[in-house]
Amino acid sequence: MTMDRRSVLGLGGAIAAGVALAPGLRLIAAPETSPGSVAASTPGKRWAMLIDTSRCSSDCSACVSACRTENNVPLFGDPERDIHWIRKVELRDQSQRKAPVSLPVLCNHCEQPPCVHVCPTEASFIRHDGLVLIDKHRCIGCRYCIIACPYKARSLVFYKTKPPKDTNPNVPIRAAGVVEKCTFCAHRLDEGKLPACVEACAKADKGAMLFGDLNDPKSEISQRLLKEKSQTIRPDLGLKPHVHYQGI
Amino acid sequence: MISPAFWSGRWSRASVLFLFLFAAWIVAPSSLWAAPPQPEKAVRGPCVRDAEWMRRNHMDFLKHKREETVREGVAVKSESFLACSGCHPSRERFCDRCHAYVAVAPNCFECHQYPK
Ligand code: HEC
Ligand code: HEC
Ligand code: HEC
Repeated sequence: MTMDRRSVLGLGGAIAAGVALAPGLRLIAAPETSPGSVAASTPGKRWAMLIDTSRCSSDCSACVSACRTENNVPLFGDPERDIHWIRKVELRDQSQRKAPVSLPVLCNHCEQPPCVHVCPTEASFIRHDGLVLIDKHRCIGCRYCIIACPYKARSLVFYKTKPPKDTNPNVPIRAAGVVEKCTFCAHRLDEGKLPACVEACAKADKGAMLFGDLNDPKSEISQRLLKEKSQTIRPDLGLKPHVHYQGI
Repeated sequence: MISPAFWSGRWSRASVLFLFLFAAWIVAPSSLWAAPPQPEKAVRGPCVRDAEWMRRNHMDFLKHKREETVREGVAVKSESFLACSGCHPSRERFCDRCHAYVAVAPNCFECHQYPK
């Protein structure tokens, strides 16, 4: 065990107090845990998303703007360095036999995430419900993970930002030099809500995004993945991504 | 008897300066040296832990909570960073007053929203 200055000083105090007080009596009360409402992630879940591109149209970006509002993601206006947690991509068939397909691309929350494997500080990690998250307190901004991610899902905060006008108070803002990405709205999941993009997609009457738990065989997403044809982006990399697509 | 030569020497000037500083030290109010920080009173109570314990250990408390919330995914709402501001409504009049005194500058508020 290592001790910092504060605990050594505290120990001195405790020894001095031990002389004066009866055994079992402590000068400083041990902290008691107080009850309160708890938002907790559930171990054993495996969150995943299924996106039906036939219901996604190129003129709709409800998911993108909902994400920016929910997570206070600013726009610098510098396309090289803007932060994107979710972005709309257009797929064009080179032989031009098929119509272009519009789809959102976000963090795939892989089961074998290369970003986590390369992180030198263990800032990127897999939470016990399968989410790939960044502990921003540990991130040193080295950007290995940005290079490792085949989905371009991660962004570095290049500039100091001012909080947007209507800031969501439940989500921290950001400091320059830290990498960030989609969290599947972990703070909302823990309260039993859906990610903001999924909710916005349903509200925009598209219903192209389905979110759920793959470890629950009765969930709608498990059922649909079982019965209907779907695929992931770059399955050949063997990362087991968990944003599934239909119609690409 | 000190010889007159002494009063014109280097030592005399040093001793006059010393006496002057000594007098200033006696006369000056002790607050010049050790004004204790006056963090603002909480608007409600009690604190999430014993206030005496918090004074010494709030930094460890916050960092422990942060591991629990971010990495393990267990967030106790009433003990979150945001909840502190419900009772300690100003970081400048609460956190910063102590921190300026002991010269620590935690960078938490670059990301965490807390009323000034
Ligand atoms: C329910 C209200 C409440 C909440 C929530 C709360 N506190 Fe307190 N806190 C108090 C009270 C009451 C005191 C006692 C001192 C006083 O009256 O100002 C106190 C004292 C303290 C002290 C010692 C101040 C001193 O004057 O020595 C620190 C440090 C502290 N709190 C930090 C925190 C932190 C950090 C959080 C968030 C995790 C927090 N408090 C949340 C009510 C609260
Ligand atoms: C680079 C930005 C950044 C900095 C700097 C930062 N945090 Fe955080 N912190 C976050 C993010 C992002 C979360 C995750 C919030 C969530 O999951 O809702 C978080 C979560 C937390 C939590 C748990 C959530 C809560 O509200 O209780 C605590 C406690 C916490 N941080 C404490 C600190 C402390 C103490 C410092 C300063 C030493 C600090 N943080 C500095 C970004 C930051
Ligand atoms: C009673 C005075 C007092 C108040 C009020 C107070 N702090 Fe502190 N805080 C300290 C002292 C003293 C230290 C430095 C301890 C040491 O020597 O490491 C410290 C250190 C910290 C650290 C660790 C800094 C580091 O560099 O490791 C954090 C984080 C912190 N405080 C957060 C807060 C927050 C947030 C608040 C307001 C909600 C707050 N403190 C209010 C006295 C206070």
